[in-house]
This record gives sequence, C-alpha cells and structure tokens, in this order.
Amino acid sequence: MSAAADHRKEILERVRAATAGTGWSVGFEDGDTSAAKGGEKGGITAGDYVRRGSLSSEARLELMAERLREYDAVVVECQPEAVAAAIREQLKASGRQTFVAPAGLPEEWLAPEFRWRIDGDLPVDEIEGADGVVTGCSCAVAESGTIVLHHGPAEGRRVISLLPDWHLCVIRSSQVVETLPEYFDRCAIREQGTGNIEQNKSPALVTWISGPSATADIEMTRIKGVHGPRFLNVVLVKEQGPGNREQALGIRH
Amino acid sequence: MSTTEAPILDPVLAPPFPVAALPVLRNAQLRKNVAHAIDVIQAKRARLVAEKSDWQALRAAAAAIKDQALGDLGAYLEQFEERCTAAGGQVHWASDAGEARRIILEILREEKADEVIKIKTMTSAEIQLNPFLEAAGVRTYETDLAEIILQLGHGEPSHIVVPALHVNRGQVREIFARSMGIENLSDDPQALTAAARQYLRQKFLTVPTAISGANFLIAETGGVVIVESEGNGRMCLTLPRTLITLAGIEKVLPRFQDLEVMLQLLARSATGERMSPYTSLWTGVTRGDGPQKFHVVLLDNERSPILARKTERQTLRCIRCAACMNTCPVYRQTGGHAYGSVYPGPIGAILTPQLQQFDHAQSLPYASSLCGACYDVCPVKINIPEILIDLRAKVTDRERKTAGKFFDPMYLGLRVAKLVFSRAWLFHLAQWKGRLVLRFFTRKDGWIHSLPSVGAKWTQSRDLRGLPGQTFHEWWKSRDQGPGTREAERR
Repeated sequence: MSAAADHRKEILERVRAATAGTGWSVGFEDGDTSAAKGGEKGGITAGDYVRRGSLSSEARLELMAERLREYDAVVVECQPEAVAAAIREQLKASGRQTFVAPAGLPEEWLAPEFRWRIDGDLPVDEIEGADGVVTGCSCAVAESGTIVLHHGPAEGRRVISLLPDWHLCVIRSSQVVETLPEYFDRCAIREQGTGNIEQNKSPALVTWISGPSATADIEMTRIKGVHGPRFLNVVLVKEQGPGNREQALGIRH
Repeated sequence: MSTTEAPILDPVLAPPFPVAALPVLRNAQLRKNVAHAIDVIQAKRARLVAEKSDWQALRAAAAAIKDQALGDLGAYLEQFEERCTAAGGQVHWASDAGEARRIILEILREEKADEVIKIKTMTSAEIQLNPFLEAAGVRTYETDLAEIILQLGHGEPSHIVVPALHVNRGQVREIFARSMGIENLSDDPQALTAAARQYLRQKFLTVPTAISGANFLIAETGGVVIVESEGNGRMCLTLPRTLITLAGIEKVLPRFQDLEVMLQLLARSATGERMSPYTSLWTGVTRGDGPQKFHVVLLDNERSPILARKTERQTLRCIRCAACMNTCPVYRQTGGHAYGSVYPGPIGAILTPQLQQFDHAQSLPYASSLCGACYDVCPVKINIPEILIDLRAKVTDRERKTAGKFFDPMYLGLRVAKLVFSRAWLFHLAQWKGRLVLRFFTRKDGWIHSLPSVGAKWTQSRDLRGLPGQTFHEWWKSRDQGPGTREAERR
C-alpha cells in the first residue's frame, strides 16, 4: 500500500515540477489566447465557436429527422395526443413481440397486444432475449442526429438500450436542440434549477447515440450493427407551439 | 498473417525507420490496402470539416482547453481522483508500464479473473498488457472488430483508429475461418462482421471483468468518456461486474462542458462522422447500472517529463484521432508498422522518442518531409513540424556528444563547413576550389549525376546542380566596374 502511495506522490511531484511557473497557455501558438482566457466558466468564451443554432424550430426538427434517416433510422412524426398510436404502429410494423421498457415509460405507451418486460432489475438474459426496447430520451442534437440518454426513469438502465436488436426512441420536439453546445447549456440550466451547481452538476451517466452500431474496420466498408441495436426507430413528437417550452427554459448565452 | 514479415512495435527492439519501412515499400498489396483506407477516411473527413464554419475556432478552443488541463495537471488529476473516488471509483497511480501491469494483474487476481474482455485501448498496447496477462494465465479477448482481426491473426496494429487497415477482406476471411472454425465463410464484410458479433456475444454476457482505455477524464465530475462505433465498448462498460480503465495522465479535461468542443472535433477528425455512433460517459459506480466495481489506473510512463519542455508539451494535447497519419505522405507509403511503435504516423514520430527518453526511436523525427499537412489537420493544433525539428536537434545533440561520433564523416564535414562559412576568405577559396573540382563531374546538362566517395551519399538518390561559372560576388563586382553601368544608375 505504501508503494502505491509512493507512485502517487512521485507522479504528482514530477507533474508539479514540470508545470511549475509555466502557466497553462504555454505552447498556444499565434499568441492568441483570447479563446482560452476569458469567460465566467474560467475557460473558453461563448461566441468564439458557434454555440447557438440559427434554425427555426420547424427546420431544426426537419434537420433532426433528416440526420436520423441518414443513419438509416426509421423516423415518424406525430402530434402529442397520438404518441401511443404512433408507437403501437411502429411495434406492429417491426413484426416483433417482446419488448423491454424502463419503469418510467408512460403506461399508455405499452400497447397491450405485445409482451412487455418492465425493467427495474431484469436479468441480462431476459433483456437479451427480448425483440426490442422502447425508451424516451433526455435531449437530442439535430446537427449530428444525436440522441442523448441520461438513463433516467423513462430511459432506463444502459443495458436495456444496448442488448435488444431493435430500439424505438421517443423524442419530444422540446428536447431537440440544434448544436452540441446547446445541449451542454441545458445540462447547466437543469442543475441551476435544482440549486446543485457547485459539484457534479453534470449527469453521472450519459450515452450519446448517433446512428446505429457500425464499423468500417474491414476495407472501410460501413457495416451496420456490430454489437449494439441494428435497428433504430424514432417517434418525433411535435408538441404544440414548438419552441415555447424551450424559451421558458431559457438558453443561457 | 501473410501480409509481411512480423513487424516489431516495441521501440526498444524495432529497427530504425528506413530499415523497417523497406518490407512495406516492397509489398504492393499492403500499400494498396493502406492507400485505399486512407483515401476513404480523408474524403469523409474533408467533407464534414468543410461543413463546420467554426472549425478553426473549435481547434483553437480545443488547444486552449488541453493547455489549461496540462498547465495545471497536478491539480486536475487530484480533483479527478477526489470526484471519482467520491462516486465509488478507485484510483490507482502507475509511474511506468511495469507498475500499471502489476496493478491491473493484482486487481484481476483479487477478482479471481482468468479471462477479461477488452475495449480497444492504445495505452494498453503501449504497456504491452496482453502478452503480460496471457503469461500470467489471464486470457484476454479484444472486442473491437479490428482488434479481433489482429489478435486472432497474430498481427500488429498499424493505425490508432483503424488498427487493421492494412488487412484486406480476403485476409480477414482467412483469419476468421481458421480461428473461429467457420467453413464456407464469405469475404463479404457484412458476413465477416456478423461472424465477429456471434463470436463475441457469449463473451460479453459471461466474462465478468473488462479493461478499457479512456478518451477523456473529467476532473470536475470524476467522469470517464469513451467514444466508439461498434457497441463493443458499451458492452464492456455495462455488462461486467468489474471495470478497469487504463488512462494516460494527459487525458484529463477540466470541465464536463469541455466535451462540447472535443466531441465536435474528435469524430470528424477520426472517422469523418459528425459524432461517433456511441459516446459513453460514466462516473464511478452507479447502483444497479453497470459494473459495481470500478478502477482507474492513471499512467505516467514518461509523460510528465514532456510537460516540462515548452515546445514538446503540445504533444500531450493529442486526442488520438489519427488525422495526422491519414494525411501524412510518408505514412501513406510506409503504413504504420515502419514506425516501430503502437503510435505510428506524425504523432508517433514525436511521441515515441519522447516516451523512450530519446534512448530509442531516434530515427522517427526524421520520418517526415516536414510538409506540415499534419499540423493543418490536427484538431488540437499540435505543431508537429516544429516539434519534429526540435526533436531532431535533441537527437543530434545527443549523438554528436558521444565519443565515437567525433570522426564521423558527417560531423567532421559539418565542423569544416562551420569553419569555412565563418571566414570570408576561406569561403571564397572554397568556392574557387570547389568549382575547379566539380567541373570534372558536371555533365553538359549542367547537373552532377554521380560523385565519388562520400559525395556519392548525396548523388545516389538525387542529382546536384553544378556550380555556376561565376559566383554572385564575382558577378556583382564585374557589374560594378562594367562600362555604362554608372550611366544607367544615374538615369
């Protein structure tokens, strides 16, 4: 144990000796450290690179759908009152029977003609043995067609959106942002709301999904579905007055 | 593998770059495989970078973020340790490769693990973890498709993002058919990928211990980030009971929000995608979700001395995207094995000699034409050419101080040159003499095609222009005294 402590001490001493008095902008060329100096976050400043998107909420949703389709995802759009019906239709079209759902998924989404395995602590083989999984999400980024899971009650444990070969994800229009920095801004806002901003303000678990599992390891030929779900389906819910909810949340500059 | 004679990726044992490059340069198939892969990635990257109007601002921000992390690395490492520990992780510190291997084996022994699943990690290749664990009786299963190809085919990685890019589908088919015992396997990448999925599924579901690397460590939260495409990473991060993450100390980012810059740059630079299919972040241990035991091994292994050198510190900004090797005209011809290290290409040429404290891999800083393409594409703005020149000076300084090199023709020649260039009369004398001598070798076309003795070292690979009949000084003098010159000036 003391040997381990020695290694810790040794590394930290070496690092401190090597960085002492050099300042952190050493090696930053062009003499331009403006990007790194200012900002309330003590790091990069907003406005340096693109933080906020420029698309209308309509166009933002369109871009999200387009990107998802580029990933070969099946995307259907619906009104808020028609979510359950849209899900049911997708489940039917899949020809599959048994689905996993996280415990926090709205009950009306669980169409009765299918077999549901509600996850709390389902054993792995029951998840592996299911035909598909239905989840919500925490956020979605249109520019890259990314679905973000924080693995809350409606998204479930990481394993349930991994093992089944077919994944249906419900995205509400108010959850769609245009750029990646906008997603990070939302994380910060959420935590301000809880008053817990000092420490661990970011989610403990995050999975960013940008298209289905893929590889290009053999001659750079893109192959879908190596280990994760091979089929990604999205129900995009167009809420009334898209964008209103987002304005209520207030995007920080 | 039938591709080439076995490459050596241990810098201590590897032959110098020009020697190691020869078998590849003679292997037309291998060069074709490498060129094809690189062309595909390059085209995708170029298209996706072009659509980002703020690409240069993102690069500048990324460089600044990494410099901030490196400049105060001690504090950020301690913060990471504190937050990760608070979240249920256990942080270990390894000064060198041997210590890291020992720590990992100890954890595996504690877990009574005799097999382990692995996510692709170049850091584990750097410390030669697999052979060590195998020798200690722990079976290792690589799970990234490219790594499976290499592990089953007993090959070595030649690229840090697409490690098996030098292997073509026919060769993959051969390897899989033999080691998975599948008859009638087609060489269609779809079928080969399906075979790998089948082969690994049971391993994912049953092996209780996993080893990963890390793309980023977040000091602010104690979180760890892995970026991947296949889902093998998510399997290893989610299904086992115990997860061991090996990470170089330079992987720390100060804040969670720094990812908004890094994630925009990484996938575009590495694979020409807007985001990689799967990016995972976890923080310590989450009850009921994923491994319930989590260890991080922070590896120094000669990284800290790099921090102290002003120019070279940039080396540690690297986020291992491989854009530099994809764009490098030298890598394109030689592939990765010639670099004699798990880190090939321009980044390998600057990183490997430094990790070896210049005791080995001294030829690597010369494995470049200094064209600067690597610097142009680097998402964290590492000025690789500048560092290459700096390292060349360090290698040379070390070499010329060794006793045996005093009478070395090159250093002898350079000392004579120093003498001549610093005295005008000697310089003029040398010009006059040189003209007399070289006239014998200059052909009618004005070029010297071959020189005897030491001079042949130059002319065996390129021609030398013959000295002109008149030096600049002579021309200037003649012009000054020539008739009509003053007249012309007066007008």
